Amino acid sequence: MHDITVVDLSRLQFAATALYHFLFVPLTLGMSFMLAAMETVYVVTGKSIYKQMAQFWGKLFMINFALGVATGLTMEFQFGTNWSFYSSFVGDIFGAPLAIEGLMAFFMESTFVGLMVFGWERLSKGQHLAVTWLVALGSNLSALWILVANSFMQDPQGAAFNPTTMRMELHSFQQLIFNPDAQSKFVHTSIAGYVTAAIFVAGISAWYMLKKRHVDLAKRSFRMAALFGVLATIGVITLGDALGFVAAHAQPTKLAAMEALWKTEPGPMPFNLIAFPDQSLQQNKGAVRVPYLLSLLVTHSLDGSMAGFDTLQKKAAQRVENGIPAVQALETLSKDPHDAAALAQFKTHEKDLGYGFLVQRYAPELDKVTPQQVQEAAKDSIPPVAAVFWSFRAMVGFGLLMLAFFVMAVLYTLRNKVQDKRWFLIAAAWMIPIPFLANEAGWLVAELGRQPWTVFGVLPTWMSASTHSVGYMAFSLIGFVLLYTVFIAIEMYLMVRSIRQGPQEPGGGGRSEPGPRPQPRPANAAAVSGRYQEG
Amino acid sequence: MALYAILQVIWWLLLGVLLTGLAVMVGMDMGVGAILRYVGRNDLERRVALNIIGPHWDGNQVWFILGGGAVFAAFPLIYATAFSGFYVVMLLLLWSMIVRPLGFEYRSKLAGEGWRNVWDWSLFVSGAIPMIVFGAAIGNLFHGVPFHFEWNITSVYTGSFLALLNPFAVMCGLLSLALSVMMGALTVMNGAEGEMRERASTLVRIGAIAAIVLFAVGGFWVHGMAGYHMDANPGAGVPQTPLEQSVTVASGAWFTNFGAYPALWLVPALGFVGMLGALFAAQSGRSHLGWWLGALAWLGVIGTAGAALFPFLLPSSSNPDMSLTLWNASSSRLTLAWMLGFALVFVPLVVWYTSWAFWVMRGKVDPRRIEHDEHAY
Amino acid sequence: MKTFFYFLLFLVLAVVVILLAVLLGDQGAWYFAWLIGTAMIVLVAAAGAALLDTQEEHAAAAQRASTDARADRMA
Repeated sequence: MHDITVVDLSRLQFAATALYHFLFVPLTLGMSFMLAAMETVYVVTGKSIYKQMAQFWGKLFMINFALGVATGLTMEFQFGTNWSFYSSFVGDIFGAPLAIEGLMAFFMESTFVGLMVFGWERLSKGQHLAVTWLVALGSNLSALWILVANSFMQDPQGAAFNPTTMRMELHSFQQLIFNPDAQSKFVHTSIAGYVTAAIFVAGISAWYMLKKRHVDLAKRSFRMAALFGVLATIGVITLGDALGFVAAHAQPTKLAAMEALWKTEPGPMPFNLIAFPDQSLQQNKGAVRVPYLLSLLVTHSLDGSMAGFDTLQKKAAQRVENGIPAVQALETLSKDPHDAAALAQFKTHEKDLGYGFLVQRYAPELDKVTPQQVQEAAKDSIPPVAAVFWSFRAMVGFGLLMLAFFVMAVLYTLRNKVQDKRWFLIAAAWMIPIPFLANEAGWLVAELGRQPWTVFGVLPTWMSASTHSVGYMAFSLIGFVLLYTVFIAIEMYLMVRSIRQGPQEPGGGGRSEPGPRPQPRPANAAAVSGRYQEG
Repeated sequence: MALYAILQVIWWLLLGVLLTGLAVMVGMDMGVGAILRYVGRNDLERRVALNIIGPHWDGNQVWFILGGGAVFAAFPLIYATAFSGFYVVMLLLLWSMIVRPLGFEYRSKLAGEGWRNVWDWSLFVSGAIPMIVFGAAIGNLFHGVPFHFEWNITSVYTGSFLALLNPFAVMCGLLSLALSVMMGALTVMNGAEGEMRERASTLVRIGAIAAIVLFAVGGFWVHGMAGYHMDANPGAGVPQTPLEQSVTVASGAWFTNFGAYPALWLVPALGFVGMLGALFAAQSGRSHLGWWLGALAWLGVIGTAGAALFPFLLPSSSNPDMSLTLWNASSSRLTLAWMLGFALVFVPLVVWYTSWAFWVMRGKVDPRRIEHDEHAY
Repeated sequence: MKTFFYFLLFLVLAVVVILLAVLLGDQGAWYFAWLIGTAMIVLVAAAGAALLDTQEEHAAAAQRASTDARADRMA
């Protein structure tokens, strides 16, 4: 039997480490393609300033990349260490994309990133460009496989429960990878990374322009970031809409939580622009509503309707009732795998197995379930509404803000006037934290909205955790907090320092901070300066 | 059914290949970390050592990630049971490993002596500890670990953290450390010149001799140890849970496979040949040959463990009947088949471009270059 | 001979790309959109940078022309 405190601590640890990891990943996803774009211009035009750009932004990329790799290791471990039942229950499906990620994507990214950094002098221009493109492709393919795995948790397609082995097993690999949730979520996340990188580059370039340092390099970086960003932001918003459409079918509870919709209403439905959801009373304490908008957003029509929590909870209660015999049949089958009656009973109730597990939290012995416990389990099927509702609004709000920013940035930079707009440059620098906040909010919507399940409708979160003691969990949580705090402090320090130092320019021009660099020895001076003049 | 059994055996072999890849590629980088402060006497020498593996450590580390991923995909019950059962050890492994990327990437970004010393020592820790844990984990497989399953295959681990650090496991950990020191030192010999090469050569000798002794001692130790014997199970290639078999514990049982198939003695022999070969090759200055022989030694050592344990993967000391084997812990036929397809395409591809990366960065690392290259570690 | 190998390489690449496009276009429309979209985003950004270079050259040329004209008038 699981200790709910341990489950909650495991959730806290997973959320904390995943959110932390997700600070670094989007920047890697987008920055790698921006580096590829810069280097492509360098190779096509032969102008060395683009090589400087690729090298300078490449340096910042690597500071970020190191922490992304390091914290990614934690994620790979944690399914086994803290979610062992989850891992054995769906490992047959979930493990495969993770392994393929390593094999197909992470190897590519990591092997070529070494060449990207160390290979400037050993590779031809064309080879180095190919290497940079492969790093970008590798890091994004990596995201693809991780999100294929994640989508199985959101919308478990292509798998079925096998009572002989007591676990979920793969039935169709194609359904797993072409899952609509996987498709739209991958594109949404990858392109959100592009937006993150574009704001990062635009913000830092704006700061250089404000300080009148490295202006040529900053202007070009800003131009590329603005165009890169405006297209990417449009993409993110389009895909966000697509994701909502997918969720409407696969995860109605998540969608209802995003909209704080407690009661089903006939269309046309108004949209809760602002609302204060109360989970225990199951209603909103005050809301600002926009007529027609919800129907338009969710069903892409003016009079469409969607289910609210009143309907959804009733359905959940029925499914709990229907799921109980499925779990009981499994218990019989575990003692005698050849019991035909139990197998038949399981087959009849199979589709609600997960809801049977859901009520086991309140009623470990399923032959003594009370109607009250069924209701409690049904109520559990509602995710934390306020958190999902507000994370969603934060994400969308930040997204629209960034779209407005990029549209202005493109207008200014295309007229080559951005360096004169002081207020806009200051605003650009202040925009840097926004995409990071939006990314984290997006993670919260996706994963909090999935609760109370780890695999939606199939495996409840409370069952998925490992059977550890509270002491173990305290030990690991404290360890993570200490380590990760030190890491982020070091990373931020090095990042800020590298930005202040700025790019190396030919002949050291524009370096405001000479610093205690070792002077090149005469014998090497030619070789060193030659490096920056080539091309 | 036959196809399923064949896939299971193939994945058991592939697991061995991936673990060997992990041990060779990650082990050499960790070996360099472990010997960093001995082989490099000043900051510049240490930077030379770091830059020898600099372009490759990241790619090499993926062998570790792939190892974890492959266990998850092909043997989910092993991944779930072992990772959660060894919780504290796994966290120590993890924490020491996540310091490593930062050690490489951040160490030489600032000039302060204190700063660099701290990173040097963290590279030492993140080199030595994971290799000891890696060996100790395999050592614990021979003793078995205390766990059982509930009716719905929830795994429950009942042992303590300290029990995992029993003498045999520690010895296996030291064997793994010795081999990685040997490989790390050979790598330094490949990329450095002068005194550093001399010092590395000494370390190859120490590592190789220690490994030979520990491997031999380990063999005798296992001979007297209580091993596990499969009495009855639903059979190879039959979908099953770990609740359907019976297993007995018997002294010397880990040598059953070697008794039944004497050709298996070639596997430990390969280990000894590799270690001795690496030793002599390094003495005569042919460190590249030594490196390949060292990789062979790893294959022999891991192969020996696998051959002795077959078909067990993770025996249970508290409920031997619930021991995990490749028959009851593997993924379904479809998953194994798809994964095999991906492995057949991508493993050769990975080997090919990794070789290309090493070829591009071949040759000695020039200390003077490091001083002037802002990208160098 | 080298050219021939390049020809073969690109031929194989072309086949792979076409297969991928057909497969993805059929089953994974969003994946296909990502491929096309990413390529487009990168190319537009790159073209934007090239455009900036041209704009700056034009501005510099215009400035030179106007100073030349002023110099002519003064002479």
